[in-house]
Amino acid sequence: MLSLEARGIQKAFPGVLALQDVTLTMRGGSIHALLGENGAGKSTLIKIITGVYRPDDGELRLNGEAVRFEGPRDAIAAGVGVVHQERNLIPRFSVGENILLERLGGGLLRPIDYDAIHAEARRWLEVLELDLDPRTPVSQLNVAKVQLVEIAKALSLRSRVLLLDEPTASLTPQEAEVLFRLLRKLRDEGASLLFVSHKLEEVQQICDEVTVLRDGRNACPSRPMAGLGRQDLVRLMIGRNEQIPDWAPSDHSHAETMLALKNVSTVLGHAKIDLTVRQGEIVGLYGLVGAGRTELAKCILGLYPLTVGEIEIAGRPERIASVADAIHRCGIGYISEDRKQEGLILAHTVLENAGITVWRKLAGRFGLLRDEAVRAHVSPVIAQLEVRTPSLAQIVGNLSGGNQQKISVAKWLAAGVRILIVDEPSVGIDIKTKAYIHELLRHLADQGTAILLITSDMPEMITVADRIVVMDDYRIKGELENSRRYSEMSEGIMALIHARDAA
Amino acid sequence: MTAALSRFLRTDWFGPLAIIVAASIGISVFDPSFLSPFNIQILLLAASVNCVIAMSQMVIIAIGQMNLAIGAIGGLSAICFAGLMQVWGFPPVLAAAAGLAIGVAAGLINGYLIARTGISAFIITLASLSIFKGADLGITRAQPFYGIPASVKAFGNTTIIGAVPWLALPAALVVAGMWYLLYRQRIGRYILAVGGNANAAELSGVSIARTVISAHAISGFLAALAGIMLVARLQLGQPSIGDDWLILSFAAPVIGGAALSGGHVSVFGTLFGVVIVAIITQALVIFRIDPYFVEVVLGLLILWAVGVNRLREVKFQNLASTA
Repeated sequence: MLSLEARGIQKAFPGVLALQDVTLTMRGGSIHALLGENGAGKSTLIKIITGVYRPDDGELRLNGEAVRFEGPRDAIAAGVGVVHQERNLIPRFSVGENILLERLGGGLLRPIDYDAIHAEARRWLEVLELDLDPRTPVSQLNVAKVQLVEIAKALSLRSRVLLLDEPTASLTPQEAEVLFRLLRKLRDEGASLLFVSHKLEEVQQICDEVTVLRDGRNACPSRPMAGLGRQDLVRLMIGRNEQIPDWAPSDHSHAETMLALKNVSTVLGHAKIDLTVRQGEIVGLYGLVGAGRTELAKCILGLYPLTVGEIEIAGRPERIASVADAIHRCGIGYISEDRKQEGLILAHTVLENAGITVWRKLAGRFGLLRDEAVRAHVSPVIAQLEVRTPSLAQIVGNLSGGNQQKISVAKWLAAGVRILIVDEPSVGIDIKTKAYIHELLRHLADQGTAILLITSDMPEMITVADRIVVMDDYRIKGELENSRRYSEMSEGIMALIHARDAA
Repeated sequence: MTAALSRFLRTDWFGPLAIIVAASIGISVFDPSFLSPFNIQILLLAASVNCVIAMSQMVIIAIGQMNLAIGAIGGLSAICFAGLMQVWGFPPVLAAAAGLAIGVAAGLINGYLIARTGISAFIITLASLSIFKGADLGITRAQPFYGIPASVKAFGNTTIIGAVPWLALPAALVVAGMWYLLYRQRIGRYILAVGGNANAAELSGVSIARTVISAHAISGFLAALAGIMLVARLQLGQPSIGDDWLILSFAAPVIGGAALSGGHVSVFGTLFGVVIVAIITQALVIFRIDPYFVEVVLGLLILWAVGVNRLREVKFQNLASTA
């Protein structure tokens, strides 16, 4: 039996206290769920347990003895394995070499034996019932396969403590089922497993114990799962009951179609995409990670060309050649899922970020741009969104995640777009801001903006969308009117994703 | 058959090799003396030294960095090699060992500073370029060492057999050694892994610091070797050795299909890249074009090669997303 305990863990990053006095106890022979909202500190805790970060305070105990990991190597050597949330394989290397990367063997006069490596790797792929040639380069795999290879890599370490951060995010239910069978087998052999997932159904299905984090603290200490229902877990995670706002269903079928994709195929591999968004409507585009939703948004924005079909804006066929074209001619705004990389210029001020979309419009003679003109244009929007910032001269990187997200909305409001594509708006945002963003989206739609909402967060989808379109493997699998009844909708959505295997 | 052919077409070295064959045929139609033994010997001489210079940069490109200091390291090692023989009468083998040790030490310093401070390789090697070059000029007062032993001069200017010069021997060993290192040794795989995805490599337990330091040590060793080979070829310890290496050192790996973002280089592609540069230099002479335009052609060649690589990368990504 191997147990791992994290006691009184504290970790601060510049500007944020990520973890505060967090305690987690994992026992051998058990699958432990780590739950919490985005931004609650789950991934930070996992990175501390696996030696990626060092805690500012508190200690880790392995089998009762205090341990200190100076880096991932130490954790691996101590028998702690992990599947991190972000993809961690070397794209140009083969599947087998990735699985055994830190154990390639060989010596100065003894070259690396690739046949042995690939044979060993094949064993671990077979454990996962994965029919895959270990000599395939990782760059040629789809997201689900990549995820399974990462799991195989963690298994191959024969870790007695195994942490899995959202291992099922891009797996089909069948693939997940194989994984669960395996996790139960490992548990029965005495391993100690930690499982992170947003899918509470999965968690209740396979976990014996649970720890919940909320805003970087324990919302509950480690306790048995037995006796906890879905609502209890949600209450622990968000501090109150799940609330689905009671927005009256509105009929948009007679509203003008603002955005229409007709039989669109793209260079990225989308095929036969038909999609419409009407004025005042929020259409949700649901799919697992890697289904091609963000990629579709980028094609609509003109970043990648279409190969077949056409896009109509307000009933007129348009060729969108560039992002500038999408914004200024077609009135399409895009709020990126990756706000730090693609949405905002963190080192610039609020004014510069929110005003960037209107510079072109406001630039005067000789292209001169006066701050006052931009300020006059941006201030009302910033006020409308209740952005908490000391001034417009504040550096955006110093604002909280929620306020940053508001700025990325503000810049499109300032630009006066008619169609807004919103990609995973609430990743890394606290509950209150999330609810606020949902209301904001509703409000914008009621004022006539057509909104395409991309999210993998099913409750969010069911809360906000009027109509839900399900995408899988770069194809549209079907669409549903949103009844706002959670179980009915989630079953409907999963059934559409499942349909792939029948087809 | 077609499968094997398409596999050849997709390798990094196939394109450059095809260019070499086509260019050789094309040029020799205009001037048959292009393929004369004497001309081939000159080509091999130039390619031998340049190949070691290119490998010195290639190993740094493989970890996704750049080394601006290879010329300065090569120059410093070269004048130490020559100086030790002339001033203190060191036997050539001992002097060469000392020159190589200086190269390795310089590389270790670069690597250590980059790994420990986290400052970009561009800045660190820019600074160390100035330091090493300054030391070179300070030691020599910008005057060459002339006292090079006859054996060293012979090594740089005679042939083993036919048109194959002695200098081709260390170059061939370096090519074979780099291939073995990058594709059959753990440290080589780690170099490519760190270049391909440093985060992933670290989370797998690969020490990024140790890998970066090793790569720079190897780079320093190769730069020193190239400097020593040039002393033998020029028959004097010229302080300006290394001044003109930089463009070539990037051109050859890039022509050979290296990804400047790291994680992917081709040893044979780089070798053929060096040969292409040598052929172009020769062709300019044959067609009586001002040799000063070599740099212009090299620059255009880099742009062209980067463009081709970019195109291949885009195709490669599309392939991945539809698979």
